[in-house]
Amino acid sequence: MARHWSVLLLPLSLALGTRVSAQIIPVRNIPLAQGDQFAIFPSANSGMGGVSLALVDSLLDPFRNPAMGARVGAARLFSAPTVYGISRESGGGRTLPLAVLGRAGPWFGGFLGAIQEVDFSGPMPSQIIAFGPRVPGPIPSGAPGSGDRSHGNAYLFGSLGRTLSGGSLSVGGSVLWSHLRAVSGVDLLYPGSQGLAQSGHQLDLRLGLLKEWPGSRSLEALVLHDRFSMTDDVGYLDLFWDAGTQQFVQVPRTEHNLDRVTTTGVHVAYQMPLAASGWRIGWIGTVNVDRQPRIAPDEVVTLPRDQGHSTAYDVGVGFSKKAGPSTFGIDAIYEPIWSTTWVVASAPVVTALGDTISEGGRTSENRFRFSNVVLRLGLSQDVPLADMKQGIGLELGLAVRSMHYRLIAQDHLAGTTQPFRNSWVEWSPAWGVSLRFPGLELRYRGRITNGTGRPTEFGFISGPLNASFPGNVLLAPDTSLNFAGVTTVTHQISLSLPLR
Amino acid sequence: MTKHVVNTLCLGWLIVAGGCVETDRSFSQPTSLDAQVRQSLQQWAVVPINPPPAQNPALVALGQALLFDKELSGNRDIACATCHTPATAMGDGQSLAVGTGGTGVAPSRTLGPSRQFVPRNAPTLLNTAIGLPYVFWDGRVTGFGGQFQTPAGAALPPGLPNILAVQAMFPVTNRTEMRGEPGDTDVFGKPNELAQYNDSQWVDIWQAVMRRLLAIPGYQSLFAAAFPGIPSTQLGFGHAATAIAAFETQSLTRLDTPFDHYLRHDDNALTAEEKRGAILFFGKATCSSCHNGPQLGTGNFTDVGVPQIGPGVGPEPPLDLGRGALPDNEFYRFAFRVAPLRNVELSAPYFHDGAYPTLDAVVRHYNDVGVALTAFDSTQLAPDVRATYHGDPATVAGVLQQLDGRLRQPLRLSEAERAELVAFLKALTDPAARNLSALAPASVPSGLPVR
Repeated sequence: MARHWSVLLLPLSLALGTRVSAQIIPVRNIPLAQGDQFAIFPSANSGMGGVSLALVDSLLDPFRNPAMGARVGAARLFSAPTVYGISRESGGGRTLPLAVLGRAGPWFGGFLGAIQEVDFSGPMPSQIIAFGPRVPGPIPSGAPGSGDRSHGNAYLFGSLGRTLSGGSLSVGGSVLWSHLRAVSGVDLLYPGSQGLAQSGHQLDLRLGLLKEWPGSRSLEALVLHDRFSMTDDVGYLDLFWDAGTQQFVQVPRTEHNLDRVTTTGVHVAYQMPLAASGWRIGWIGTVNVDRQPRIAPDEVVTLPRDQGHSTAYDVGVGFSKKAGPSTFGIDAIYEPIWSTTWVVASAPVVTALGDTISEGGRTSENRFRFSNVVLRLGLSQDVPLADMKQGIGLELGLAVRSMHYRLIAQDHLAGTTQPFRNSWVEWSPAWGVSLRFPGLELRYRGRITNGTGRPTEFGFISGPLNASFPGNVLLAPDTSLNFAGVTTVTHQISLSLPLR
Repeated sequence: MTKHVVNTLCLGWLIVAGGCVETDRSFSQPTSLDAQVRQSLQQWAVVPINPPPAQNPALVALGQALLFDKELSGNRDIACATCHTPATAMGDGQSLAVGTGGTGVAPSRTLGPSRQFVPRNAPTLLNTAIGLPYVFWDGRVTGFGGQFQTPAGAALPPGLPNILAVQAMFPVTNRTEMRGEPGDTDVFGKPNELAQYNDSQWVDIWQAVMRRLLAIPGYQSLFAAAFPGIPSTQLGFGHAATAIAAFETQSLTRLDTPFDHYLRHDDNALTAEEKRGAILFFGKATCSSCHNGPQLGTGNFTDVGVPQIGPGVGPEPPLDLGRGALPDNEFYRFAFRVAPLRNVELSAPYFHDGAYPTLDAVVRHYNDVGVALTAFDSTQLAPDVRATYHGDPATVAGVLQQLDGRLRQPLRLSEAERAELVAFLKALTDPAARNLSALAPASVPSGLPVR
């Protein structure tokens, strides 16, 4: 099976999520709402829109870069139950993580375990305007996942690091293993399907370094390798005309779809105080290389993920200002991304121009050039209570992500080249409240993400959209899509307790 | 100053947060050929066809013998397979069929003395078992939900299993096709007893044919095997027609086409040219407005401006009024059944009177029906058929007056698009249908020559 316009298989991480912020650059070419499934880690700054370039995120940093665990003092227990929901009954999920971070002498490390339930995204957009027959009735057995509304995922994270050179240099490594049976929104990528059974995993390996100098200057560096592997068994009910009974009949069919993406990245960040009192500045630079291998024909693919690769960069600068109980932060990041996907001929094929594309030759190519911009800003205000050992923190923030890309779609079979331009803006107001007691921190964070959507039934989607997910996807759905705008609302309560 | 900044940011945040909206939007992406084709397939209810179940071998064997045996014709000179021959994909390759009295074999069969053409083209029998609601070019036999309407009315024997069996009842009753005229003698010089009955004596004709068949030992055994437990005295021509239908169902269902593979999710089954042709078929060329559904046709009747050729059918000879010639169907004047399209490449010449010899010519006709009909080149017809072409202005005007509204404006297909359309139509061919010679038996129970 091959299509002319290939699918974009690019890394897609959560645009505004916390787990992969900065280190894995999301690449998406449609504004598909994904929820906050992977926001499983606690974050001190998420109520401030996730500002992080010139601000320390004491909760999240050890999970982003294992060397940052060096900043953890006494051992602490964390939990950050998270609930998200997508409007128009388009899905949602609940996550319960439990984490421990601590250190012993020069060694430090942590562990996190999380369980998660992700809801089915809602009715499939399968009922397309058509003159064709509709065959009502029960779904025949054999369609995977039919009737199941939600599935569980599990996450295990472990990190270990050591402080060197008298405490100014730290190194660490981490492993995140995600056992996935549901990735939010993937069911929407198989319009017309009756059921979906997902299984797979994601392995995220990180090696980090943290160098700190006197005067609150710090440099962090990270190397990461992420492997995403999912299998989607998609159940369809195909309509047949039965010549024997001379009636339309439904026949169940299962598609076995594989999705494999690897991401390798390097990330560096530097923070330092500015001369002006209370101001800090931070820079980041990141390179991601994503590869979508061609899945061998003998691996049973009815929905091929087109081969592709992308190279994504980000460069950003952030400022923060701390004045007494008030903290302000702002980040600006630019993400230039180049991506190419292609389809190869499984057999020699004659083009419309009379040429022959030999087996293995490219029948189509999609070349993307993204120019994305991320802006985050946040404000927090601490209000001391009583003896200054207790307090209330208030946070407000906003994250804005502007996506813009130019696509040159070449169909070598038809001998045509088509340019496309698309852009959209997602924005996420965030807020938070913290209660600080001696030895105990209780935080609530909320966020609404706007500007995304879910495919509608009027999109004339005729086949699978060819997207994969989580830490990586996106696709060029090879058809025009209509999106119903949705909002994603996320609530997170995080608890931090000292372990004595 | 700091307080002012904080207040401003808070106000801005509230404005932004208050602006949370669910904005619907359309998002354009490159649209693949496959996406376009599959969208059209869904729109026009074109779904794969599950072949009919295997038929009783004894029935199939009897049906094969009957289809190829000239004993069923009044003059014992023509079999069903004379005009529905394996050599020409179960049609005859001729514009108009040549019935009893003719000589030679298709596609070079010629009229006998004082005979006239069968008024219409002999359609292919391929895939007639995939569920056609109408048979014959004018749809005079219909079958819905096991109920059949035929010219024979109540004379039709009960219990016929399907519309194919019903259809098989009628060629033996047609004087031009198989039964012959009063006074005819058969190939042995004996009087043609089938021709003595009036056209309305359906039951008598069928009984007479059965008397012939059951007088032949070979048929006695074939009928006994096909219908065990039914005494020969209770066998009627309906049983013979049932067997013929079983043979057609078993042997002439040819659905293994590239297009059918494509319908079963093999995107590589069609070439890019064929896919572009499909997009035209379901779009600009408007073919699918009639040729839709699993069979790609057969669900309706329409006047597509086909040149009038032949002796005519109906009250206004030599005009062939098509379905309009049936009682109470004046609305369908010059309208004919929309033919199913699988294996259409093999079933030339095309339309109800075989007016066009190639698919390219058909597509050119549709591209501008008015011009094609007015300027029809009758030299593309065989010489003996050419003489029956009715291209006078009044006839042309009459046909165009009833022309389907969808064809009143030119389609404006380019030469390349016409080629793509033809390429798609050729993707409807089952390779196994290209050579059906194995279907012809070496001999038939009557001993009459098969060819």
